[in-house]
Amino acid sequence: MNQRRGLARALALLRKRRLERELSGEIEAHLELAARDAERTGMSPEDARLAAHRSFGGIEPMKEEHREQRSFVWVETLVRDFRYGVSSLWNDPGFTLVAVAVLALGIGANAAMFSLVDALFLKPLPFPHPERIVRVWEAPELGSINGINTMDLLDWKRMNTAFDALSAERPATAALTGAGEPVRLPVMLVSADYFQVFGVSAQIGRTFRKEEEESGASATIVISHATWQARFGGDPEILDRAVMLDGEPHQVVGVLPPGAFDRDETSIWKTLIYKPEQMNRGFHWLRAVARLKPGVTIEQAQQELTAIDKQLSDLSPDWKRDWGVAVERFDKRLVGEKLRQSIYIAFGAVVMVLLIACANVANLQIARGVTRRKEMALRAALGAGRGRLTAQLLTETLVLCLAGAVAGMGIAYGLLQAAKPLLGTSLPFTADLGLDLRVTGFALGAALLVTLLVGLLPSIQTSFGNLSQAINQGARGSSSSREMVRRTIVTCEVAVSLLLVCGALLLFKSLLQLQQVETGVRLSNVITTSVDLPLGAYPNSERAAAFYGTISERLRAISGVEQVSLSTDLPLEGVRQGMGISVPGRDGGSTIRYKRVDENYFSAFGIPILAGRSIQAQDRAGTPLVVVINEELAAQLKLHLELDNPVGKIVTVGTPNYLNSTGSSPPMEVVGVVRNERIGALDAAGSEPVAYVSLAQVPRQEVKLILLTQIPPATVLPEVRATLRQVDPTLALGEVRTMEQIHERSLSGATQPAWVIGVFGAVAVLLAALGIYGVVAHSVSQRRREIGIRMAMGARSFDVLSHLIRNGMMIVGLGLAIGLVGTFALTRLMQSQLFQVSALDPSVIVAACVCVVLVGIVATLLPASRAAMVEPVTVLRDEG
Amino acid sequence: MSREKTEVPYGTLDLLILKTLETGGSMHGYSIARRIEQVSESLLRLSQGSVYPALIRLEQEGWIRTEWGVSETNRKVKFYSLTRSGRKQVQVEVENWQKANALVARFLEAAP
Repeated sequence: MNQRRGLARALALLRKRRLERELSGEIEAHLELAARDAERTGMSPEDARLAAHRSFGGIEPMKEEHREQRSFVWVETLVRDFRYGVSSLWNDPGFTLVAVAVLALGIGANAAMFSLVDALFLKPLPFPHPERIVRVWEAPELGSINGINTMDLLDWKRMNTAFDALSAERPATAALTGAGEPVRLPVMLVSADYFQVFGVSAQIGRTFRKEEEESGASATIVISHATWQARFGGDPEILDRAVMLDGEPHQVVGVLPPGAFDRDETSIWKTLIYKPEQMNRGFHWLRAVARLKPGVTIEQAQQELTAIDKQLSDLSPDWKRDWGVAVERFDKRLVGEKLRQSIYIAFGAVVMVLLIACANVANLQIARGVTRRKEMALRAALGAGRGRLTAQLLTETLVLCLAGAVAGMGIAYGLLQAAKPLLGTSLPFTADLGLDLRVTGFALGAALLVTLLVGLLPSIQTSFGNLSQAINQGARGSSSSREMVRRTIVTCEVAVSLLLVCGALLLFKSLLQLQQVETGVRLSNVITTSVDLPLGAYPNSERAAAFYGTISERLRAISGVEQVSLSTDLPLEGVRQGMGISVPGRDGGSTIRYKRVDENYFSAFGIPILAGRSIQAQDRAGTPLVVVINEELAAQLKLHLELDNPVGKIVTVGTPNYLNSTGSSPPMEVVGVVRNERIGALDAAGSEPVAYVSLAQVPRQEVKLILLTQIPPATVLPEVRATLRQVDPTLALGEVRTMEQIHERSLSGATQPAWVIGVFGAVAVLLAALGIYGVVAHSVSQRRREIGIRMAMGARSFDVLSHLIRNGMMIVGLGLAIGLVGTFALTRLMQSQLFQVSALDPSVIVAACVCVVLVGIVATLLPASRAAMVEPVTVLRDEG
Repeated sequence: MSREKTEVPYGTLDLLILKTLETGGSMHGYSIARRIEQVSESLLRLSQGSVYPALIRLEQEGWIRTEWGVSETNRKVKFYSLTRSGRKQVQVEVENWQKANALVARFLEAAP
C-alpha cells in the first residue's frame, strides 16, 4: 500500500459518518436506477425492485467490504472496544478502583525507579558531546589512580595534541561575607579552560580567560545560577559587584546557565594561580578533567600522555619513575559501586511488586470472568468470534492498565519528591531526577506489558468456556481449572513476597548490626562545625596557631560549653591524609592515617589514654614534635618494625607543610597510646592505624571545631558565630552537625535500602494477603451449599473452619516452599550490602516465614469464619 | 441464475472498471456496473454492489476522481472519471494482464 492510500485511509477514520452517508446514498440511487431499467422491460414495480436488489447482491457484506477497503477497520474496532471497556469498568467501580490502585502502585514504583536508573546510568551527561569528556590521573600502577602534581599537569597541557581542553581542579572552600550572614561556600579552583571541557558558556558575562590564571592576575570568579539566585537575589548588576571571599574582593565575570552545575556541590569557581612552592613534581594535589578532540579515542589520548610522561620521567622524583597515566570516561566514577548495587536491588524489588500486582489483577479478572461468562457466551452465540472476544477483553484490560499507568505517574512523582532529599548528595551532579518523556514512555511500555501479562490468561479463559454449558450453568457452578489457575497465581504471590520480606529483614538486621558497632567515641552532647583559614590572612603556621589558641579560649568562655577541641578530622568521616611512618635505623615502614588534634581532643570524645600521656598544651611550635598513636598502630609497629613499648621512642612521620604543597619526614617522639576510635565508615573491617600529631605544632588551614555542651545547637550557635566574628569577621562557620547526626549519616547508605525494600516487602505481603483472601472468599461463596449440607449432616463449625483454613494454608505452604528456593538463589546477590549478616541468615528466614504465615492465617480466617457461621437452613432454602 | 457464469477473476475488477471508464468517460456506479455486464454479455457473474468497494480503493489510489452530478432519476450521485495517473495505470494493468496471460498460455501449450 502506498503512502497516499495510507493517508487516505487514515483520513477516512475521521470522515467516517460522511462516508457512510455517501455510500448509502449511492446504493439507493443505484437501486432506483436499476429498478427503473427493469420496469422498462415490463416488470411490475414490485418485481423490478426485487430484481434490482437481486442483481445488486448483499448490501451489508458489501458495506463491510467498503469499510475495510477505505479505512483501517481494526482502529475502529479498537476504539469501539476501548469505549466498551471504559463503560464496563465504570459499571464495576469496586473492581476498577482496586485494580487501578494495585496497578498504579506497581507501575508507579517502577517508573520512579526507572527515573533514577535512567538519570544515573542511561541518559547521556547533560553536556554537548559528553562522550568526549574524560578524567585524567596519574597511575602508580595499572588500574590504580592518583592525583596529579602541578608540573606534570602543566607539561601535559603544553605538549598534548589529543585534547581541546585539559583543566586542573582542586576543591576548596571560601567564606562569603557582605551578602547576609557570613557563610562558607564550596569553591572549585580550576584552570581557565575548565568550562570548555564541559562545553558550557556563561549565561551572563563570560567564563575565564587565559590571562586570569597567570600569577598576579586580579581575582575573578564564576558563579552558578543557583548561587546567583540564592546569595545575590538574582542581582542583574552582579558583574559590577565586588564579592568578598575570605575577606578579599573578587570580580564576578560570569554567571552559569541553570542546569547541571546547580546540582553540583560547588557554587563558585575560581582560577587556580600556582604559587612558586606548588611548582613541583612530588605533591599530588590536583585532579584533572579534559575534553578529547573530535575523533580522538580514550586509548589514543592515554598513549600520547604516557609517551609525554616517559619523556619527562627524568624530572620526576625517583620513587615515582615508573608511574603511568590513566585516562577514563568522565562518568566512570560518578556513581559508587555500593549505590549502583543498592539501586539494582531496589529495582529488582519493585519489579517483583509489579509482578505481584499483575498477579492480583489477573486474579480479580478471573473472578470477574466467572460472572461475565454468560455475557461472553451470549455474544459468542450471536456470532462474535473467539478472537474478537479475546481482543475485546484484552482491550478492557488495556484500559485498566493505562488508567493504572496514569495514576502510577502520580505515585512516581510523589515517590521521587519524597526520595530527592533522602538521596541528596549521594547522587552525582549530572543526575537530573524527574518525570520526563522517557519515564512516561517507560510507564506506557510497562502498562502494555502488564496488559499482556494480566489480560491474556483470563481473557482466553473467559472467552473459551464451553458456551452452552456456560449459559445453562447457574451461579453455583465452579470450574476446577479456573480455580487451579487462581490458586497457582496466589501461590506465586506468596513465594515472591517471602523473597521480598527476607530481603528486607536481612537489610534491617544488617542495619541493626551497624548501629551497634562500637564507635569508641562519645556521640551525645557533641556539636561540630568547621573553619577554613584563608591563605591571604593566615599565610603561615604561626598565624594559624595563634588563631587556634584564641578561638578555643574564647569559645570555652561561652557559658554552658564544657569543652572545646580542634582537630583536622572528625570520627566516622574518614581521615583524608595518608602518610608513612618509619623507625630511624630500621628498614621498611607502615602507612598511617594522619590526624592533627589539640590537647582536648581525647577527653572531649572520651578516648582513654592507654599508655604515656595525651597531647598537651605545651606541645606548641618550637618544642620537640610529639605523636600519639592508637592501639592498632602500636600493634603494627610491633609486628612490622619490631618496636615494643613505643612510648618514648622516636619515629619519623611523613608530614605535609602548612601550604599543603610539599612535605617532609621529621622525627617525632611517641608520647602516648590511645584506644582505637572508629575513624571511617562503620562497615569497614577492623581498625586503621592512626597517628595523632599536635595541631599547634603542625597547623593546617581547615580545622573542625568540637564543642562538648548540654545546650542544644540552635541555642549555642549564635554565640559561637558572634565569638568567631570577634576573632576574625571575614571567617564563616562550615556545616554544623552533632556527632549523633554524623553517626546517623554514616548509616544512611544502609538505612535507605532497608526502608525501601522494607516498604515494598510490606506492600507485597499485603497484596499476597489480598490474593489469599480472594481465593478463600471465592471458594467459600462457591461452596455455601456444600457447607450447608455438611453442617445439616452434623459437621461442626470447627470442622468447616479447619477444612477451609487447611485449604488456605496449602497455598501458603506451597508458596513458602517455592519462595525459599528463590530466597536461597537470590539473596546471595545482596551479600555485598550486608554487614555481618549471612545472606542465608536462619533467624531472618524463619522470621520471614512466620510473618508470611501469620498474614496468610489472617487472610484465610476472615472469609472462613463467615463460612462457619453459615445457617444450613437458609443456604439450602436459597439455593434449593 | 445460470451456473455457466464465472466469478470475476481475482484482481481483474480494477482493470474492468478502469477500462470501462477509459472508454465511457465520466460515469456513475450503476452505469459502470451495467457496462461491465453488457460488455461481458452475461458471461460474468457480477454482484453490481461489488464495484463500490473497488471504486473507493481506486479513488484512494488516485487513479479515479469523483464529482457530484445528478442521475437520470434526479438524485445526487457520484460520477467517476479517470485521472491522469489513472490513464497510465490502465496501460500498466493491461500490460500486466497480457504478460500474465501469455505466461499461463505457455504452460497450457506445454501441457501434453
